[in-house]
Amino acid sequence: MARIALSTALTTLVVLVASAAARAAAPAPTPTPQPPSTILYLNATKLDFYYNRFLIEGDGNVRIRTSDGFTVTGDSFSMDLKLNRFMVAGHVTLHDATGTVNGAAIADFLDYRRIYFVPVTSEPDRWTFLDGDLAHPVKGREMPGDTFYFPSVSEHPSITGTGAVIGTKNYVRFINAHTYFLNAGIPLGTYVVNFSSNQYFAQNTLSGASVDLTWNMVGSPNALTAMHLRYDPTYKTYLSFEQHFVGEHEYAILSVNPATRADKWWNLALYEKLGSRFQIQSFTQFYTQQNWFNEPRAAQQTTFLNATYAFPHSYVTASAQLTNYSLLGPGGLEEHNSVAGSLDHPSQVQLTASSFQNRIANWPLFEQIYEGYGFNHDTVGGNQYLQGFPGEGPPIPTPGLQAYGAACPDQHGVKNPPVYFCPVYTTIWNTVFGFNLYTPAIKLNSQANPYQTYYFNASFNKQYQWNSLPHWINTSSENFSISRQFSHALNTYVGYQILNTGDYYINGGYTPCHPVNTFYCPLSFTSFRGVSTQRTTSLGINDAPTPEFNLSFLVRHHTDFPIPVPGVFGLPPNNIIGQPLYTSYLGQAPYDATGEVRFKILPHMMLDVSRTLYWYGNPYRTQFWQPTFVVQLLPI
Amino acid sequence: MKRTISALVAISLAIVLVAAGASTIVVSGQLLAYQDGYVFFTSGDGFRVAQNVVIHDAKNGGATTLHPAPRIWARATFDASGTVTELDLSRDPLPAQGNFADVTHFAVALSSPVPNPDLLQAVATPAPGEPATVAQHFSGRPVLVTFIVQVPPYTPFTSSIYMATDQSGWNAQAIPMDRVDALHYQITRRFNSGTIFHYLYDRGSLQTQEIAQNGLTRAPRNFVVTDADVRVIRDTVYAWQDAAPGGLNQVQPQIMPTPYNPAPFPNLPPGLPPPQPPPGKKPPP
Repeated sequence: MARIALSTALTTLVVLVASAAARAAAPAPTPTPQPPSTILYLNATKLDFYYNRFLIEGDGNVRIRTSDGFTVTGDSFSMDLKLNRFMVAGHVTLHDATGTVNGAAIADFLDYRRIYFVPVTSEPDRWTFLDGDLAHPVKGREMPGDTFYFPSVSEHPSITGTGAVIGTKNYVRFINAHTYFLNAGIPLGTYVVNFSSNQYFAQNTLSGASVDLTWNMVGSPNALTAMHLRYDPTYKTYLSFEQHFVGEHEYAILSVNPATRADKWWNLALYEKLGSRFQIQSFTQFYTQQNWFNEPRAAQQTTFLNATYAFPHSYVTASAQLTNYSLLGPGGLEEHNSVAGSLDHPSQVQLTASSFQNRIANWPLFEQIYEGYGFNHDTVGGNQYLQGFPGEGPPIPTPGLQAYGAACPDQHGVKNPPVYFCPVYTTIWNTVFGFNLYTPAIKLNSQANPYQTYYFNASFNKQYQWNSLPHWINTSSENFSISRQFSHALNTYVGYQILNTGDYYINGGYTPCHPVNTFYCPLSFTSFRGVSTQRTTSLGINDAPTPEFNLSFLVRHHTDFPIPVPGVFGLPPNNIIGQPLYTSYLGQAPYDATGEVRFKILPHMMLDVSRTLYWYGNPYRTQFWQPTFVVQLLPI
Repeated sequence: MKRTISALVAISLAIVLVAAGASTIVVSGQLLAYQDGYVFFTSGDGFRVAQNVVIHDAKNGGATTLHPAPRIWARATFDASGTVTELDLSRDPLPAQGNFADVTHFAVALSSPVPNPDLLQAVATPAPGEPATVAQHFSGRPVLVTFIVQVPPYTPFTSSIYMATDQSGWNAQAIPMDRVDALHYQITRRFNSGTIFHYLYDRGSLQTQEIAQNGLTRAPRNFVVTDADVRVIRDTVYAWQDAAPGGLNQVQPQIMPTPYNPAPFPNLPPGLPPPQPPPGKKPPP
């Protein structure tokens, strides 16, 4: 507990110092005029909202009160939220502190601070109010041609209601709202549509899901409260909750996901931009295993902290990660009264400087370099500290780099020790240096017709990582591709990638493969000394005849060393919707083919379905499918 | 003689009928309001309505249950004095008929028209060396817009790239893109001209969103759909938030972070022993 408090205190101190430094270094903010923002309180017998066009159409007993100080009643209402203008037509009354005027229609162009009014006194007329001055209309002034235009809508409304609060350029909160599924109304009570251009509303802390139906319950220009009904293959159907607080240069997001499952992930994301050159952000994830809000059976926590300072042609990033695998002490993730459980509290800090991407002379070649320095502390499982426990099984047999070469004194009955390794290096320092080279699309032939032109791309990455123990890792990646667009809808590419990973030790290192129990050693394993090569040839075809339909295929052939053998290497874990977490890994099947189709199923929704078939060539000739279809509903 | 008289009467009647027909003007449009003895069209013009105005169904010419009101489409018949004598109503748009320019002078307005300096004036021929002012026009018609983005060279080859836009509530997977080659992805979408929207590229979540070239969170890209048959937008992503070069990868939510393990082969089979010092030697300091 003291360690957590210390970490928190240190983190806070770093944040405060960095913030103070940034405030001192940052240029004085230039005051910019705030865009006009108005709140409209709207009531009508029926309001319809069209999500795809951001239109609100209302009819019957329209009454609108504005924060600009006037009230309008009438028969019909129309507002384009994106154009930020509204209109009331039919038996209109305009009421403000100076009195009431009757008319046929009124249109308020909020962005331009112009109100166009057709009054009917003894006879009709045309008045224009400038800059909110309702006391002094400019009479007879010519009006824009589309001032009183009703948009044509033929589709079914996305949401209906009888009232709305409209924060212009930000949100609409519908009252007595209903949405529709197969023409059946679903009552929502209140529903908030957020259309702010502030991208911080986009930030969220929820994981991916196959389906996410969001009910925005409460909203304002600076906050949004949402309940999510979600489905994914892991947790099935569940509810999640998320709260956003958003400012011009900062945000805070809290969520619990899933909220209705025993496995709960509590998330907190914080972000602040100080001046034009510095930003700091953190993400904390707190895991509990608990029924509703009962006492947790397990609790874990991890915090990422990231600060970036931008220079004119480069930037420096400081990153830290602090994790506690068991906040409950021994017994976490286990039944009560058990002792085993990870007591790890790994931490790491990394400082990285990166250049911009720069063109080399006038060649079609760009470069970028980066260098980093940092450390990792306590990255080996705490079970190794515990040495297992009598009756609870041996420690985890996978040795981390920290356990390099140190056999545990107690091998727990293993006949040919050592199998279990214990920590030696509690802190490993590292230095990283790397660079990227790439070419943009280079024309291979000079056809006038773009659909007959071939393009070439190439990229190269090299990275060295030296660790404080006698060990270093070299990785390099080369990518080449040739592509052609056959028509507006159809494009193909052929790609070739080489990924080399060298894991080198000054003393010792990887030793030849040894048969273990029923495991035999294929030839390539016996010669494996920590250097792998993965070569991948890809053929991709995309066909998108309309924006509402897409069909794509990707076929790949991997020529890897060590050569994959079915059932020998472990497969990478999948993410929550069934996609592999790693895109490249040792032991991947030599061939795979992925098909993906995406099409429109509802006016505002597309369905995306994909699946991959893996197969081994000779001599194994086995194949298997990705365990499940990856299905996603995508709003459009 | 009788025949001659009959012919003259018929000709006179025809002339009268033609003259009467020529004195009426018919135009169709959408109603803005109907009140106080006036009918208003969405042009904003108000016209006097005859007290005995005839209201018919625009489709069959018969009686109708519709009443003149906002949003209703109407075919209006004006007499020679500019009074509306007949309204044929419909909920659906009516075929264009007549020209409002022919009846604008019948519109009733107390005040004389005054020019509006806010509105675009006729563009004068620019002086030599001065750029011509081009008026931006948005018709609202659908425009095919193709976005082509170049991603950082270290983007994983099997990555999915998406666009998040304010049109879709910044959903990180709102617009999936298709790979074109090793560095480029593209997507074509249909937008109405005049649409203004903001967007950012990402790899499926907001934690994998693009960042600016200087490593900071970037402001959303801004795009205005102008009138054209096809628009092509080319963008460059310099870095991803979770995979800045050499930086510490940030882990997506719900994936409990794995302690940083510099060993690059986490899934070695059991027959491959872990790296060890040479036999008989102690671990290096």
